[in-house]
This record gives sequence, C-alpha cells and structure tokens, in this order.
Amino acid sequence: MEVRKEFKLMFTSAKYALMREMLNKVTFFSNIIFMILNNASFIIQWIILYSIKDNVGGYSFKMVMLLWALASFSFGISHFFFKRAYNLSNIIMNGSLDNYLVQPKNVLLSAISSDVDVSAIGDIIYGLIVYFVCGFSIDTFILFLIFGITSSLIITSIAVIVGSLSFWFTKSEGFADRMNNMITNFATYPEGIFRGVIKIILYTIIPLGVVSYIPIQVLTNFNLINFLIVIGSCILFIIFAFIIFNRGLKRYSSTNLMIARI
Amino acid sequence: MSIIEVKKLKKEFKVKLKEKGFKGTIKSIIKPKYKKIKAVNDVSFSVEKGEMIAFIGPNGAGKSTTIKMLTGILHNDSGSIKVMDLDPKKDRKQLAYEIGCVFGQKEQLWTHLTPYDNFKFFGAVYDIPETVVEKKINELKELFELDSFIDTPVRNLSLGQRIRCEIVASLIHEPKILFLDEPTIGLDPVVKDNIRKLIKRMNKEYKTTIFLTSHDVSDIEKLCKRVIIINKGKVVLDDSMENLKYHYLNKKILDCKCKEEVNLSGEEGINIIKNKGVNLKIEVDTNKKSISDALKLLNPDNIIDINISNVPLEEIISNIYNDGE
Repeated sequence: MEVRKEFKLMFTSAKYALMREMLNKVTFFSNIIFMILNNASFIIQWIILYSIKDNVGGYSFKMVMLLWALASFSFGISHFFFKRAYNLSNIIMNGSLDNYLVQPKNVLLSAISSDVDVSAIGDIIYGLIVYFVCGFSIDTFILFLIFGITSSLIITSIAVIVGSLSFWFTKSEGFADRMNNMITNFATYPEGIFRGVIKIILYTIIPLGVVSYIPIQVLTNFNLINFLIVIGSCILFIIFAFIIFNRGLKRYSSTNLMIARI
Repeated sequence: MSIIEVKKLKKEFKVKLKEKGFKGTIKSIIKPKYKKIKAVNDVSFSVEKGEMIAFIGPNGAGKSTTIKMLTGILHNDSGSIKVMDLDPKKDRKQLAYEIGCVFGQKEQLWTHLTPYDNFKFFGAVYDIPETVVEKKINELKELFELDSFIDTPVRNLSLGQRIRCEIVASLIHEPKILFLDEPTIGLDPVVKDNIRKLIKRMNKEYKTTIFLTSHDVSDIEKLCKRVIIINKGKVVLDDSMENLKYHYLNKKILDCKCKEEVNLSGEEGINIIKNKGVNLKIEVDTNKKSISDALKLLNPDNIIDINISNVPLEEIISNIYNDGE
C-alpha cells in the first residue's frame, strides 16, 4: 500500500513536470526531435566502421545497434523519471531537501523524481526505433523492456550513490558528474574492445557489465543465469543506493547549515 | 494538553576552520580543524493546542534550527521533542500529515504551474482523494481570496499573492500545526496586514496552532498572545504578550516642547533621552515617578506641546536580545 502510494506520487510528479514542460510546444518538440537527431548522428561513425570491418570487438553491426538501442532507451527512462538524481549533489548542498523532508513520502524518491527531462523522451523513442529496426520478436521485446528498466534503475542508483557523497564531502558534484558521464560514454562501445584492467573496471567500479554487456548477451542468446545476475544486481544497487542516501541524510543538517554559515 | 513539548533540546554543528589565505587552505587539507557551535543549547518549552505563538530572536539565535528539528528536517543531538505525541526524528512521515510549513524564503510551489494545479499536486502528496481536494481548494480559495488569480501561473503572481498561495498549499491537508518562518518577509504594509488577518482567521476557523517566527515586530504584536525569545541557542524569555508589555511598558516616553528650558538632570525615575534647549525628550519610569509628578516638574504652564507614548515593542525586544548577550 505504502509502496503503491510512493509510485503514484512519482507518476503524479512526472505528470505535473510534463504539464509544465508542455506549456511551450516549440521547445517541447524541438527538444525531443533534436535529441533523436543527435543520437542518430553517432550511428554514422559505426556505419563507416562496419563498411571496413565486419566485426568490432566481437560485436556485429546488429549487436552494436542493439547496444545503442538499450543504452538510449534506459538512459532515457532514467533521465525522464529521475532527472534530479543527476543533480542530487546540488539539491543536498543548497538545502532543497527540506521541502521533501516535510512531506509524508520517501525523501529520496520524491527528490529525484520531482522533475522530468523532456529531451530524454527523444532518447526513449530513439532506443525503441533502433530496436525495431534491428528486428522485432515478442520475447526479445519483453526482454528489451525488462533490461531497459533494470539498466535505468542501476544507472539511477549509481547517480544517487555518487550524488549522496555530498553529504560527506563538499564540492563533490564534479566527481558525480564525471562518473555519470563515464557510464554514458562507455555504454555505447562493444565490450570486446576493452581488455585487461579496463575490463575489470567495467565490471566493477563502472558496472557496465550488468548495464549493457550482459543484457546484450542475453538478448542475442538467452541464458537464465545471466538474466538472473542482471535482475539480482539491479536489486542490490537499489538497496545500496537507499542505504547510502539514508546514511547521509542523518548528516544532512550539518552540511546544509555549514554552507549557510560560511 | 500541549501539542508541542520540547525538553532540554540541544544541537551542535561542526564547522571547519580555515586559516587565512592559500597557505591556510593547504593547512586545512592536511590537518583539518573543527569548531563546535552550539546552535541550540538546552531549550525547553511547550505549546498548547490552538495557540498562536511567536518564536523570535536575532539572526543566528537558533530559531530556524529549532523549527527544523520540530518538523523533522534536522535531528536533535539530545533532549526530547514531542509534536502531537510524535517524535519528529522517528515518525517523520506520520508527523508530515499533521503539520504544515511555510518558509518565507523558500518556495515550494511549482512556478510554471497555476496555483490550482499546485494545490491538486499537494493534495496528491498527502494522498487526499480528488473530490476532497476539490472541495478544500474551493473553501480555501474563498478564505484566502484567491479567485482572481487561481488560474494564473505562479511565476506571474505578485509576492503577496504567491505567499498566500504558499500558505494555502500548506493547508490543503488540514494540518493541526502550521509553522510559519518569516511569512511576511519582503511584503508591503497593506499586504502584510492582509496576510496577518488571514492567518488570524485561519486560526479561528480551523483552530490551527500557529508557530511563527518573524523579525517584524508588528507581526508578533498583532498575531500572537505568547512570545518565546531565543538568543544564542537559549530561551531568554517565555511569556504572554500582555506580561511582556506590562513589565516592560512601565516606561513612558515624554516628548515635549517648552517655553523655557527645564533642568531635570538628577531627578529619580527620569532619564533624559534628548535635551535641545526647549525641546525635551525624557523617559519616565512610572514605578519610580508618576506621570503627573513628571508633568509637575515640567510645569504645565511651561508646556507648549506634549506627546506621551509607550516604548516601542521593537525597542523592548532588542533590549531583551541585548540583555542576553
């Protein structure tokens, strides 16, 4: 019941934020369309690359497209529903959490879902278009949707974790930004081109293994264990994000007032 | 029964110290030093249901910190807080249904949406069914006279209209206690007066307990029956408005214009504030000298014009602030 109420509020928040964004239809639609065009421009480099070579890092052209589809789709969902997770440092630093603390809802959820990123709708649409171009079947589509959600929840959790560092360290927003950018940058390259230390990092510190690579493997060749690994990691990341945020929240006050006093 | 009960409340902040200049920065990276600041130090008070209470003090006295602890935003280090029998630290969500907050300097409304949409949103935050919200909005719309601008986006409203909407937004869920932190900041006198009337009406109609902080003395004078003054994290006065005035208003200011100069220096109970020959301004302590005695000293025949007034409340309060230092 409690969880349902939280989700209801999350969608209501998104609805109102969307209402606000739609007040100006020119900016609204141009934001979406330009995001789609922006994403599409990256495909060109891959088309050129694959005209020279058939295989890059063990990925066929179709797999790279699938990688793009998933990355764009999940990135879109995360940025649309949880835009402010990527701005959490600032929310913590300037004391904006006060507003959510006096409301009878989960602070983290209300804070990160209090705004939407309209251009992320472009990412979502683009991800779906590329997926359909790659070929459609009911079972891969269901898997694609599931992985879209798990990946978006994992990258949101990471954004929350790095954003929450602001409870402990001032001026940590730069680090949070770079971490979030890194995930987006790496997520659109075939796994096989990375080796050694970088590969280890991609499966640990920057968990792109569970965000991109394993889902792509499962999408092209279903494997139950890998599927469960993704679901399990997603749950773990969410729990971890909540724990870190709630730990930090106990310190919230001091950071807030220190800023005000300095 | 008290609706707010605070006992021996304490809150400390750790503040990083840094010596001057770049060298100091390097030093503070290698070996950071901290200073502890007692923001709230042993504060106790209680508030009765339906009361309108002024919680005042100079900047940095600990007012906001106390309010934030009462509303569950900050956690206290020690002492106990009971708001409607709930502990804000543990029962934050439950408490949120019972209280409303308006922070004059912080916006909670969505600026691009209309007040109406905003109120609907806040209804959803507090899980109020649509039909009930609709009814409540209509009721508050009338009470707060929002009819003419309820469909105008908040960003196009004047500050006074916005504050009214902020208050309404925090009343949608019918809170039992309303925390108002400087609600009239930056408003012109007419709007201020209007807001005060509305707050008063709300207190009367809904029996809402009001916890108000303000630097505007007339806010306090016109609204509240009881004052708690806090300075340097401690309560320096907790008394009814009447008592405050009674105790501190035993002094009268006599501003008079005389025909000839009068020498009153050395008279007991009389303090000369300004003496410019025939223009004289004195403060009479009525416990020591009656007004009629003071007038006799001035000699009624000698007086061209006179004005007798109370010491302004503002002055009384700043005296109390200074006494605490």
